Amino acid sequence: MTSPPLPLDLIDALQMRYFDALDGKDMYAWLDTFSEADDTSYVLNTFDNETADLPLALMLDDCRARLEDRVTYIREIWAGTFEDYRTRHFAQRIACTSAGEADTYNLRSNFCVFFTSDADGQSRVLACGEYRDVIRIEAGEARFLSRKALCDTTVLPQYLVYPV
Amino acid sequence: MTSTRGMVEPEVRWPARYNEIPKEVFVRKDVFELELERIFHGPEWHPVGHEGEIPNPGDFKTFSVGRVPLIINRDQQGEVNVFYNACSHRGNQLETRLHGNRTEFECPYHRWLFDSSGNLAGCPNYREFKPGFDKRDYPLSRPRTASFKGLIFVTFSETTPDIDSFLGDIRSTLGEALGEDGRLRLIGYQRVTYRTNWKAYCDNDGYHAPLLHRAFKMLNWQGGKGRQYATRERGHMGFESELTAPTQVSMLKDNSIIAFEGVDPSKGSRVIELFPFFIATKHLDTINLRFAIARSVDETEVHYAFFHHLDDSESLKRHRIRQSSNLLGPCGLISMEDASVFHRVHVGNHTPGTVEFQKGVKTVDHLDFDFKQNDETGNLPRWEYYRSVMGFERVQA
Repeated sequence: MTSPPLPLDLIDALQMRYFDALDGKDMYAWLDTFSEADDTSYVLNTFDNETADLPLALMLDDCRARLEDRVTYIREIWAGTFEDYRTRHFAQRIACTSAGEADTYNLRSNFCVFFTSDADGQSRVLACGEYRDVIRIEAGEARFLSRKALCDTTVLPQYLVYPV
Repeated sequence: MTSTRGMVEPEVRWPARYNEIPKEVFVRKDVFELELERIFHGPEWHPVGHEGEIPNPGDFKTFSVGRVPLIINRDQQGEVNVFYNACSHRGNQLETRLHGNRTEFECPYHRWLFDSSGNLAGCPNYREFKPGFDKRDYPLSRPRTASFKGLIFVTFSETTPDIDSFLGDIRSTLGEALGEDGRLRLIGYQRVTYRTNWKAYCDNDGYHAPLLHRAFKMLNWQGGKGRQYATRERGHMGFESELTAPTQVSMLKDNSIIAFEGVDPSKGSRVIELFPFFIATKHLDTINLRFAIARSVDETEVHYAFFHHLDDSESLKRHRIRQSSNLLGPCGLISMEDASVFHRVHVGNHTPGTVEFQKGVKTVDHLDFDFKQNDETGNLPRWEYYRSVMGFERVQA
């Protein structure tokens, strides 16, 4: 018995929507890559915390309400207070498997994010690491039930405004 | 640029007025080298960790004071030790990881092996060593250490006063930030490099808070009653504030980020800054110790360590984790903008002249210790102590 084919085209399209949203600073489009479920989540952390079983994160948006609040931080609360920077996200799909439930998949990919500061025009690596995602196909479109970005980068080169 | 002991060339001319700081001290490499000698290797205590970061036998962390690498560990007997992070043989750095657990330290260079208490347990071919060689003479070296409610301090000077004298009147506020009894447990780290001088990182004030941090205003979060003070000896600063956070903010869908669950709001906020640049804060239910490293004249690395208290219920611990992750630090709701200012202040400090503290200045002729909560003058006692230990002469008015 062969397992059904993985919907890699839909999953890759989700990755592209996610990066296009962040690199374009369109936070509503970023939010729209996540499921509407109440327990949908985004977590940014370091492997350093994760492997030492330290529960703190760099960004811990463990429910849909916190994801929506992150959009508010960036668009309204922090507006005009920081030196902005541009990002370019690059990722490579490493493993994709069925998560057991219907239309639900586990995705693992490597990422690297470059940033260019508006202040000095220099481009540097902001963080690199691994995404660990749970993705569900909803109405013909893939969305994140959860996205966890784990950074190899233990000491960030600067403050973070946007999710990774 | 010649720097001999105790001298910088050209000399720093310190302004006569007490509210002015010469910008050159933020950007000159020779001043930074003198700071390493006079302050970081001088008669000061430097916090390097909290016992709650290394709760189990074998737990260790590494840290640096200035350029000096250290290992802080809990040995097999449960005692806390601080070692220089260098083999007692040829000085090879012994441990490279930021933290971990190990019962012995082995130098890879010639396989000298040290137990968790720093004793030399073995070294290959020792029969061919110098006459009379005895392993007992070669433990890992240690700096002087002291402890206050679990906070671990080191100093490299024999003349540093005892820790109680060093801390002075700041002890009660620091104790409150450490959960009164210091029984804290690490929940994790956030680490970042700020492209700024260490002294710009620690110029803190209550004046900027509602102006820079729009979250304070937009969340209708105003500081309640409180006080700011500085110790007379070294200018350690303390802020004690009530916080009147509203229970419901229409802007936010998840109000737990600004909720009080564990503490009385009258003790809502504590900020302590010890000379030279250690910061401890307790905001809402977060307990945060900021261990910082002056990497160079224009780079400051900050390790934000967050804690819960050992008596916390599971739900309070969970609340602290959720609040700590998103409130403070290099991506925190109420702190992210600080980082941007640190960098811009450093760029601006390459211009000639002085920076002037204004808010709360009642006289420019001498130090004044009477501050309101939102004054910026609380930094001036620390600056005056800095000037005196650096040996910079104040010009005559």
